[in-house]
Amino acid sequence: MNIPVQRPPSEGGTAAMSLRGLVKHFDTRLAVCGVSLEVPAGSFFGLLGPNGAGKTTTLSMAVGLLRPDAGQAVLLGYDVWHSPAEAKSLVGVLPDGVRMFDRLTGAELLAYHGLLRGMPADVVDQRARDLLDVLELGTGNRTLVVDYSAGMKKKIGLACALLHAPRLLVLDEPFEAVDPVSAALIRDILQRYVSGGGTVVFSSHVLEVVERLCSHVAIMSDGVLRMHGALADVRGERSLQEVFVQVVGGRVATGSELAWL
Amino acid sequence: MALTPGSGRVPVRVFVRLKLRITGNSLRGRPARIVMFVLGLVAACGFAILGYAAFAVPGLLGRPAAAAVLFPFGGALIMLGWVFLPLLFFGVDNTLDPAQFALLPLRRRTLISGMTAAALAGLPALATLAATAGTVDSAARLGGVGAALAALLGIVCGLLLCVLLSRAVISAFATALRSRRARDLATIMLAVVTASIGPMELALLGLLNRADWDAVAGIAEVTGWTPLGAPYSMGVDVVAGRAWAVPLKVLIVLIAAGGLLLWWSRTLERAMAGAAGGAVPGRAMAPDPRAPVTRLLFRWSPRSRFGALTAREIRYWWRETRRRAALVTLGVAGVFLPITAAFAGGGEGATGMAFVVGAIAPVALANQFGYEGSAYATNLATGVPGRLEVHSRAAAHALYTVPTLVLVAVVTGLVADRPEGIAAQFGTLMATYGTGLALVLPISVRSAYALPDTNGPFSLSSGGGLSKALPGAAALIGAMVGALPVVLLVWMWPWLGLPVGLVYGAAAYWLGANVAGRLLDRRMPELLAAVTPR
Repeated sequence: MNIPVQRPPSEGGTAAMSLRGLVKHFDTRLAVCGVSLEVPAGSFFGLLGPNGAGKTTTLSMAVGLLRPDAGQAVLLGYDVWHSPAEAKSLVGVLPDGVRMFDRLTGAELLAYHGLLRGMPADVVDQRARDLLDVLELGTGNRTLVVDYSAGMKKKIGLACALLHAPRLLVLDEPFEAVDPVSAALIRDILQRYVSGGGTVVFSSHVLEVVERLCSHVAIMSDGVLRMHGALADVRGERSLQEVFVQVVGGRVATGSELAWL
Repeated sequence: MALTPGSGRVPVRVFVRLKLRITGNSLRGRPARIVMFVLGLVAACGFAILGYAAFAVPGLLGRPAAAAVLFPFGGALIMLGWVFLPLLFFGVDNTLDPAQFALLPLRRRTLISGMTAAALAGLPALATLAATAGTVDSAARLGGVGAALAALLGIVCGLLLCVLLSRAVISAFATALRSRRARDLATIMLAVVTASIGPMELALLGLLNRADWDAVAGIAEVTGWTPLGAPYSMGVDVVAGRAWAVPLKVLIVLIAAGGLLLWWSRTLERAMAGAAGGAVPGRAMAPDPRAPVTRLLFRWSPRSRFGALTAREIRYWWRETRRRAALVTLGVAGVFLPITAAFAGGGEGATGMAFVVGAIAPVALANQFGYEGSAYATNLATGVPGRLEVHSRAAAHALYTVPTLVLVAVVTGLVADRPEGIAAQFGTLMATYGTGLALVLPISVRSAYALPDTNGPFSLSSGGGLSKALPGAAALIGAMVGALPVVLLVWMWPWLGLPVGLVYGAAAYWLGANVAGRLLDRRMPELLAAVTPR
């Protein structure tokens, strides 16, 4: 198994996200052990891994939602744990498995996010309307977010992350539970965002999406970063699927099991 | 090779074993749960012993007349307890949730007999049987073997009815509460019922004091012919020489049981389908044309972070059912405690009770971060400073609480017949409220805990536990002790009450909120982890 050596941060611009030796224990279980990662600015970065690999834990530590036992997380040059205000103001986050303030309507939730980010009210109004319109959530919708479908919840979460036009987006499973049409829409938005100079880091276990979108990928399993680098380097001559299964050490059905099925 | 459908008959003991296994597994490696289970065991034993003793007393004293009153009433009370106690306090026993069997090829008859058997194999059923066995004891002493056998038949019938009744009601509830709106409404209703138990108890006691025993005996006789009292009055009937009544009462029990079974099996189907049913689409509402910021904020809110945080909190106190239930409870208790105290003990009692209400008010904030759970991640990811967070939350709570306290002061002044003391009373209340906030705010940061993530009305009290309620109770007592100087001052110079109370409360609040804010700045991620349900 060839694991590429860690590449130095891209020359010139600083890395959009730089993780150094992140470690997290839960009770006695080691959830993440020593993840170091450089995400070049302007890249579309996919974090891959099976369920329970530590993707969510890593991203939570990276954006300041979970305090690491050891290690450092630097976003756009600011250490998340030493200058949180500066770091957080430049980043948009879509956490997974975390509730939103879901007893607000979509529009109220966006207004809440905007005002918490210190944006002027008129800018909040205009951008919130745009986002609700583009993401087809309805500008005048009175439905509380708690009553949204799973896909709509993802979309309003994404809208909240985009509202303040951050330079870095950290999205945990942005395509989960989203219908194909909305997924295509989200892909378009994110691609446009990256081509405009933004950086996207997202986690997923849908390899096709990652393969289609990403310029860079990282593969995690059991709390360890197994491989990372530019998509072409990681993939080589094979498909991402093959690389992933090999790196993660999954079992491939040979056809002899479950013969009675 | 496929199994032929319907070939495997599932014996009832499989359900019983499944329930016992689930109960056992849920205790494994969880000391807190084991402690709760042991406490439950102790409580069940206590209930069994006390119940047995109470039902055995008429036999020991040789008083058939007392038995004729006690057994139907006691039995009916136990049966009603089976319906209401789980709903109000203990949480519904959903070890075997019908929805989990939805995909298995089970006949409804099998499922119902299995679930009945599983419900019978539980602490409440055993405790009930043991407690009502006191009626057998009494019947044996009063009427010999025949009466004892009738009473034995009675308690078995009674237990069966208890289980069927509670299962059927819960199943019907589970079906009715499918939509979030219905669940929200039920939560509020339960809060109102719970809050009014105290006043109702006082009223009931007052009625009993005036009732004459002939009338009571008459009501007991009638109760004995309803399904609620029939099983438990069979022994008494034999003692009184009305053995002919026993078959009739068995018939009543059978009819009632049949009706309950029918009801249960009707709702069971829908309860089983519930697992697959998706979210109910919201009603079509006219679109709201206002701008997003205008929709979030109130007209008088500042267009700032503080404004947004406070507006969100204010909406949450109303829209989040657990919070609204807390507010409703405070309102009901706040108004009725002084009134009932005034009727019981005059003006002094009312003033004292109002003082307690001032200390109860801030306790709703003791686990304020637990209410919204992991949604706090939003504030953490956007970097809301601790002090701003604490002040905005307290402000939103005060917006609801201060008017309530005004109302409490006015009501207390009127029922105590001391309208001139209303201002001083309000001052004392504010001093207590402020002191309480000062204690509760750091507690809410320091010892927050996750509430169950469901928004079902029955998860109100589950997952509480004594150790979690302790800081809140400590703050309640602390608030009363802390506000004592103001109380003494008001007692000596009543006109000082309002200004001193306001200043004292505000100063205490300021101190506590700043401590809480600094504490929060240091442990925001830890707080998020603490309130995130696992």
